[in-house]
Amino acid sequence: MTSRSIRIAADSVCDLPAELRDALGVHIIPTYVNIGGESIADDGRQLDRARFYRELPKMESQPTTAAPSPGDAASFYREILAAGVDEIISIHVTETLSATLNAMRLGAEAVDSDRITLVDSRQLTFGMGMQVWVAAELAKAGADRDSILAAIEQVCRHSKVYAIIDSMEYLRRSGRVNALAASLGSMLRIKPVIAVESGEVSSIGRLRTWTRAEQRLRDLVHEQTPLDRLAILHVANRLGAEKFLKSIQDIAPSDTLVIETTPTIGTHIGPGSIGVATLNRNWRQ
Amino acid sequence: MLTNPMTNTSIDGRVLKAMFGAGVEHVSNNVALINELNVFPVPDGDTGINLYHTLQRAWQEITSMDEDATGVVAERFAYGALMGARGNSGTIMSQLLTGFADGLGQAPLLTAPLFIDACRSAVARAYAAVSHPVEGTILTVARESLEALSADASLAENLASLVDAAGTSLNNTPNLLPLLKEAGVVDAGGMGLLCFLQGIQQKQRQDETQIQVPAISHLERPAPLSSSVEAYGYDIQFLMLGELLDVAAVLQEMEQLGWSVIVVGNPSAVKVHLHADNPAPALDYAVRSGAALTDVVIENMQLQARDFAMRRGQQALDAGAPEVSVIAVADGAGMQAIFRDLNCASIIAGGAGKNPSTEDFLGAIERNPAPNVIILPNHKDVVQAAEQAASLQTAKRARIVPTTSMPQGISAMVAFGDATDKNIEYDAIVAAMEAACAAVNTIGITRATREARINGLDIHQRDFLAIIDGVIGAAATDIESALSKALAFIDIEDKELATLYCGAGFAISTANDLIESLLLTIKGIEFEAVHGGQSLYPLLVSIE
Repeated sequence: MTSRSIRIAADSVCDLPAELRDALGVHIIPTYVNIGGESIADDGRQLDRARFYRELPKMESQPTTAAPSPGDAASFYREILAAGVDEIISIHVTETLSATLNAMRLGAEAVDSDRITLVDSRQLTFGMGMQVWVAAELAKAGADRDSILAAIEQVCRHSKVYAIIDSMEYLRRSGRVNALAASLGSMLRIKPVIAVESGEVSSIGRLRTWTRAEQRLRDLVHEQTPLDRLAILHVANRLGAEKFLKSIQDIAPSDTLVIETTPTIGTHIGPGSIGVATLNRNWRQ
Repeated sequence: MLTNPMTNTSIDGRVLKAMFGAGVEHVSNNVALINELNVFPVPDGDTGINLYHTLQRAWQEITSMDEDATGVVAERFAYGALMGARGNSGTIMSQLLTGFADGLGQAPLLTAPLFIDACRSAVARAYAAVSHPVEGTILTVARESLEALSADASLAENLASLVDAAGTSLNNTPNLLPLLKEAGVVDAGGMGLLCFLQGIQQKQRQDETQIQVPAISHLERPAPLSSSVEAYGYDIQFLMLGELLDVAAVLQEMEQLGWSVIVVGNPSAVKVHLHADNPAPALDYAVRSGAALTDVVIENMQLQARDFAMRRGQQALDAGAPEVSVIAVADGAGMQAIFRDLNCASIIAGGAGKNPSTEDFLGAIERNPAPNVIILPNHKDVVQAAEQAASLQTAKRARIVPTTSMPQGISAMVAFGDATDKNIEYDAIVAAMEAACAAVNTIGITRATREARINGLDIHQRDFLAIIDGVIGAAATDIESALSKALAFIDIEDKELATLYCGAGFAISTANDLIESLLLTIKGIEFEAVHGGQSLYPLLVSIE
């Protein structure tokens, strides 16, 4: 029996760099950013991330983010299957914070739900990207569906996403994580350190200065060693991200990525923020 | 009964009550004088007002007593002092009175030998209560005056010698404490004790029915609103104008109608402040008494609290009682709001010049739903009352993080949020808060109340003083120079953030101008200006 061909699909919140996407044949469906009356697809073409972040602080109304429609999802799957793919494993932004997975489910049901396996990453940005990356490598190497799904689960269990929020302003304006914003207080400048885990964003530290927050982030990365993979994330702060990477050079894998996160996330946490997505070596056990 | 305590060899409970009353009155009459004996020319030395509040609370406890046994009267009086203790001197006074009562035991009559024993017990108790006794203070005055007591002398003679010896000891305090000598004053707490003893000794107060706690309207500045433990209900304030108003009766009535009651004034004007579930009965009483009502202010604390809760998010409302929560003393609406914003569970209004009492802390600890509480006194003169409260109660675990300024307390609160995020235990939270305080420098800018020469600085009245971590470090005729000079003393190499808390009447825009000007010379540090609204200090600055 010849093995069935499996392709990995994901939404653009996974922040998989274009080179990896192309090399591993991952299909990405864009989510949307609504600015004013306009809805712009985060597909790397319509939306200029650099320009978006430059303008974000000056925007009169807070941009909102939106899931693809079930119709978008259906045509997305149809197109992949039409190219001769047997099965799709479709990995998505956590259902607790986005309607994307639901739209993808409706799309899959409209097409052929037997050939499409949906996965809730319970993660954001490259926390989800780690799962997509590993899954796509395995799919490319010819692994079967069950072993890919098992690997995704392992990656999910051994990866962490942490970030320092530079200004509480955006989190507060976004209203997406109200309870978190409310618990952090609003009268003083505070740099919260947040974690994404099991689909929840929570504050795991509050520091008054950036230097102390960065030290906390470094400590958190150290707790995750030995690292199998690492991505330094930033929102319009490449210099800050590179400087941070330099400060953990001794524990960073050689293929560490520096990634500017999608506006779908950047809108909520604001320019200046930096973060990490880690994957511990134990995921392979 | 006409018993003259000065000639009789023994006195009963009623006479002791009258004597205590006379002591309270004499302290009350000298509040301003005691306040002026402030070592530092800063406007927050309030030994007089603290002793007044401490003793007024003590007097309240025995005011309606009709009791034979001196031991019972002394015990109740001491209990009141313990509850009302404010500031360091007030706390020590409460310990002296507690020791005195212990010495009397259940004795019905006060005799000379018993009096000597009780005085010794008082001093021993006070010394034991202070972890690092400092000589040249109220403690010294109390201890040295004991030496004049003699078992061979009558009670009246002993009392007279005690007062004489206390006076001599007080005059010697500057020789024991260089700070006093430099400032050219005697110890304020010692002065308070002397006043109390003098009042007791004064012969004209033999008839208890004449004893009333007098008004304190002659104070230089208005009597500060004493602390009020945050609670729901209404905050009610009004002024009663009339003739022959009975201040003590008003106080007694208000005590029945609400909590956090303050009644001060004289027969023609009485200022009332209280918190109550319903404002109507208090106003009704005032009108029915025949007084004219004015300056009526009623605020709904429930709505205010709800606003805050809404701002903190619904989740905070729904959440069950936390394991650990914080009680902080804060002065100024902005400061109180910042503490609430950082999830401080209860705020006791007070601080510089308005020290909360042991009782205020006890109430706050009791009302706090968490089994573990952490107290932030946020002022050096408040630490002892907080510690006393923590040790008096056994229902909860209560620890003090001995913050001596509000900015320090805010850093401790940020560390509290950080620690609770990390889900660590009570002891570790306390340790994290203590460490956070140690990493902060505080500069307070205030105005000199008089000329002085301190730490080699020539200070003129109305100068702006910069107090760096509790020590006067710079003086200048304007705020900016005072702050610049103070910043020069702080090693800002490893500092990142300076927060300017603007006091009452100091605009944020003025602070922002100040920051712009400071940025011309100070690099590598971020500045932030927020509204604090604190009194006495136009600016409080934390550098971390």
